[in-house]
Amino acid sequence: MREMKKMNRANSKTIQFCGWAVLAIVLTGSAFAAVPGITGPTFNLTAQDAHLNQPDGSAVYSWGYGCSQKPSGFVPQGIANATCPSMQVPGPTLVVTEGQTVTVNLTNNLPAAAGNTSILFPGFQVATTGGVVGLITQEAAPGGSVTYSFTASSPGTRGYYSGTQGDLQVEMGLYGAIVVLPKNPPANCSAGYHASNLLAEQHWGESDFRLSTAAYDHPSTCYDREYLFQWAEMDSRIHRQAEAQVLDPTRVALCAQGAATAGCSLSVQTEPYHPAYFLINGRSMPYLMDPNYAAEYPHQPYNGNPHMHPGELVLIRTVGQGRWQHPFHEHANHVRILARDGNLILTPDGQALAGILMFNTDTTPGQAFDGIFYFTARGLNWDAYGHHPAPNTPGSPADANASLPCTPDANGYNTGDPTAINYFEWCQDHNKPLQVNPFGDVAAGGPATLPDPNIFTNGAWYGGTPYLGPDASLRATAPACDTTQNAGCTTLLPSNTQANPANERGWAFMWHSHNEREITTNNVFPGGMLMMMLVDSREFVIDESL
Amino acid sequence: MGNRKVRTPLSILLPICLATFAAHAQSFRVQCPTSTITHPSTVTNVNAEPAYNGPTVFATVPVANGQGGYLTPTSNVNGAIKCQQISGGDGYSTMADGTQTFMFSFGPLSGLADIANGLPGTQFPTAFNSLYPYPTPLQPGDPATTDKASDSPYTQGGYQEGAPGAFAWNGAVGLVPDVDANNGSGTAGALIDGHVDPRQIMDVGVMNGNIPAPLIGIDEDDELFLTLTNVGMIMRPDLFEQHTVHFHGYPNASSFYDGVPDASVAINIGGSFTYYYLSPDAGTYFYHCHITPPEHLQMGMVGQLYVRPRQNRLASGTSLYAGLQFQQSDLRTACSPANDILCSATLPAINTGTAQGPDKLGNPQKYAYNDGDGSTAYDVEYPLQMHGFDPNFHFVGMTFNPEAFVDMKDKYFLLNGRSYPDTVRPGPQATQSSDGKMHYSQPLPAIINIPVGGKALLRLVNLSVSEYHTIQSLGVPMKVVGWNAKLLRDQEGNNTEYYTNSITLGGGESLDAILDASNTALFQPGQVFYLYSPNLDHLSNDAENFGGLMTEVHICNSVSSSTFGNTCN
Ligand SMILES: [Cu+2]
Ligand SMILES: [Cu+2]
Repeated sequence: MREMKKMNRANSKTIQFCGWAVLAIVLTGSAFAAVPGITGPTFNLTAQDAHLNQPDGSAVYSWGYGCSQKPSGFVPQGIANATCPSMQVPGPTLVVTEGQTVTVNLTNNLPAAAGNTSILFPGFQVATTGGVVGLITQEAAPGGSVTYSFTASSPGTRGYYSGTQGDLQVEMGLYGAIVVLPKNPPANCSAGYHASNLLAEQHWGESDFRLSTAAYDHPSTCYDREYLFQWAEMDSRIHRQAEAQVLDPTRVALCAQGAATAGCSLSVQTEPYHPAYFLINGRSMPYLMDPNYAAEYPHQPYNGNPHMHPGELVLIRTVGQGRWQHPFHEHANHVRILARDGNLILTPDGQALAGILMFNTDTTPGQAFDGIFYFTARGLNWDAYGHHPAPNTPGSPADANASLPCTPDANGYNTGDPTAINYFEWCQDHNKPLQVNPFGDVAAGGPATLPDPNIFTNGAWYGGTPYLGPDASLRATAPACDTTQNAGCTTLLPSNTQANPANERGWAFMWHSHNEREITTNNVFPGGMLMMMLVDSREFVIDESL
Repeated sequence: MGNRKVRTPLSILLPICLATFAAHAQSFRVQCPTSTITHPSTVTNVNAEPAYNGPTVFATVPVANGQGGYLTPTSNVNGAIKCQQISGGDGYSTMADGTQTFMFSFGPLSGLADIANGLPGTQFPTAFNSLYPYPTPLQPGDPATTDKASDSPYTQGGYQEGAPGAFAWNGAVGLVPDVDANNGSGTAGALIDGHVDPRQIMDVGVMNGNIPAPLIGIDEDDELFLTLTNVGMIMRPDLFEQHTVHFHGYPNASSFYDGVPDASVAINIGGSFTYYYLSPDAGTYFYHCHITPPEHLQMGMVGQLYVRPRQNRLASGTSLYAGLQFQQSDLRTACSPANDILCSATLPAINTGTAQGPDKLGNPQKYAYNDGDGSTAYDVEYPLQMHGFDPNFHFVGMTFNPEAFVDMKDKYFLLNGRSYPDTVRPGPQATQSSDGKMHYSQPLPAIINIPVGGKALLRLVNLSVSEYHTIQSLGVPMKVVGWNAKLLRDQEGNNTEYYTNSITLGGGESLDAILDASNTALFQPGQVFYLYSPNLDHLSNDAENFGGLMTEVHICNSVSSSTFGNTCN
């Protein structure tokens, strides 16, 4: 009996690990993120109920905002399968431009027992039309409507959420984000590195999925790629109690006589609070990394699956929803905080940035931040691409990509040729070997000896070598794995499952809550607030249309 | 099976995935080269930190038949080679209410004497590669066994039985001459090439977990070779747990050495893996295992790591501003905000004219960062790790049952692995493990001794997996100079440091706070102040309602050294 238990414990972990990795591959193919949203400046929204899918198989009854009619447009251009369902969590991301007059018509299609609902837009001067008087704003009564209008006075990322019985309604999913784009993105954001990054994208046939070129009307806020992450936890007991009461025939009958009828209104306990689901953009790992608008999650359209190329400035738009703080840890580099709640943090003379650098960017309920991240591999002290000056194996044909030049620009990066695979390589480490005696066609004489691969367990995102990109990963394979005979062979163990396939071989880094308990889904690890960020070599096309 | 659910459609993957576990061979070894491309022994002494008077000078060595070569140092080589070995396994620690708690943990397999004395276990090659010198073989529990450690307190000063001292070796456990590799070479004596005797590693490494994990301290420009040796978990023979090391906060980390098992490799039982990094910018980092993090971190696989700045190595009399200007001439270390949005050690807006000189102990002045103006100067430094243990989870973790994550609730609140009053007991704390031997389970105290008029750098880290923690300084003000291993300075060089009496950190966060006792009218020798958590429920040791996250700050006439293990005179 004891033997049995022991085996089960070990096996269950393995199965889960392999399981979610495989699931992600099956569903994703290449599914990336961008910042999908809808355009206005008039938004016709509804608040409704539906069920959210979680990776433990549960469908959790929730409330969310959605579109009551087709929105005026979807962004970014070229995003596939874009829809705005009548209920989604988070609510539709509202994308507007600085100076626009934004009008949000909200209709309350929640069950009558839920009572009134509303939306708060912190950071804007909101005027209301219609609706009924609520505690902190005008509300839409069951079946009724209310209109909020305001000027998108300044750029930035901000949250929006219910201003009615927030302990219940925000928990149920009534929250979303609004992105205000700068009216006049600074000219320098289309010059220099940003211009050559675009040339590199074009060379490889990659599209530009940005909403703008700058986060703010400030020359230090340029970016080359962007993602939006909304963090919230969920206590499914509250949701079950709400669902049971909404379906309760007695209550349904009372509500049929009018929402104001005594006994119609829900009486759900929101304390004690004991969340078991930890969500980014309404999803948990591994569902989180599946495509935007994936049909499997009709009410959770937004994903979290960041990718980037070396040297790109990546704008991280983050909103803390829910009621807890979460220490969002970005592996691989720091984040410069540009702004909080749309307020740029600048030096006293307003000329330069003064926001701090963090490797853990805390998310706080009701607070949004914009931050810039990049990855270049600077200072590793070995050539990330496994370059070397001359063929390693006498007599073997040299791969032309093994001996590419690296010409440092004023900052030390190889940016002269945007069409090069090693565009943005850190040149101080060019050709510098890592391994004492490597396999394959990479440089030897480095400081490190890698052990027998048989004492490793390979991760789903491990490419089989220390090196970046499909070309380097192929070259650095074991002698038994002759790439002239078998172009796809690797040093990965036969048991390995791949979420980082042979044509990608990016460097994967975990972005997750460092309250590690929150990278679980209802007691199962892995899950929750966890996603893999991939730094991809230039020849891999990051297609964020999915 | 408890709550660990398995999605049925994936069960077909079972045989494939299990094959992973079938493939492990015993392969222990350490790495500590005595010459590398970056630190060639022909050009520099790899066993010392040279003074910093400008970046390393490089030249490209041409390679026959190839285009170019790679940059190789020719003179002015900075930094040195540093090596350390740690075990991944299990062990026991003692909570302040006397409870022995089971841990998954890292333990020291090099620098044993230094670790027992509250110091980093990181060594130069000459120390790391030194063979065990004593006639009696290494014993389970060492160095505590050789030191004749007991679990009763001892007083400090001079060697006495039961205190660190008898065991004074810092080499790599297991390292033995590689007789096979020497065959036919004709040289006398066998090679020291990283070959180890696994018996010694198992004797010392098994059941030898530490909380916090062995301290790592390095200098900018160093190459670090950190070997993780997975000795298995004796109390959980059912688990095939791999371990890894994640260098938390390392900028521009490589995925291969990032320690995330999903993105790289994980080390099976019976294997060693050497992580290789060139030191990142100065700052307070930390490390932890990244296997099933909610479990392995809660169970104790968390350690501290800090990087000392080049500014410490400036020759006496050199202007700190000039020292920072040197660094701006190397693109790797330069901080030009216009070109790099993720750097903060830019030249200060105001050149204070401060020059390198002695600190209150008469040593070269030390700094938390390359500040160029002396704003992060300190006299004594203390790494402080905040953590929490959930006794329930640790008990379940020792038994053959699945743990639940949702109900995790820490009840022991730890500063450097101890709760008050254990935090103010000097010397290593020992725990008798299930092997019947005493082990130095909690080597670091948390006593803050400050020389009168001096400044103490607290390298504060929170590695809790479920709690934000606040630490309050009752009396001595805190000057926060760094956040998440970066100097607090805006892009125009204005310091954004601030004074406070409390700091708050979430799991996975670090900051640098200087306890500033320079006002000698207020802070006089003999006075005792407190650092404690105003999250009042964190002042408990499980059922004991007073203890937890708390320690003492002593103002001293003088201190005997600059960190843990010093005496307050
Ligand atoms: Cu992590
Ligand atoms: Cu571990």
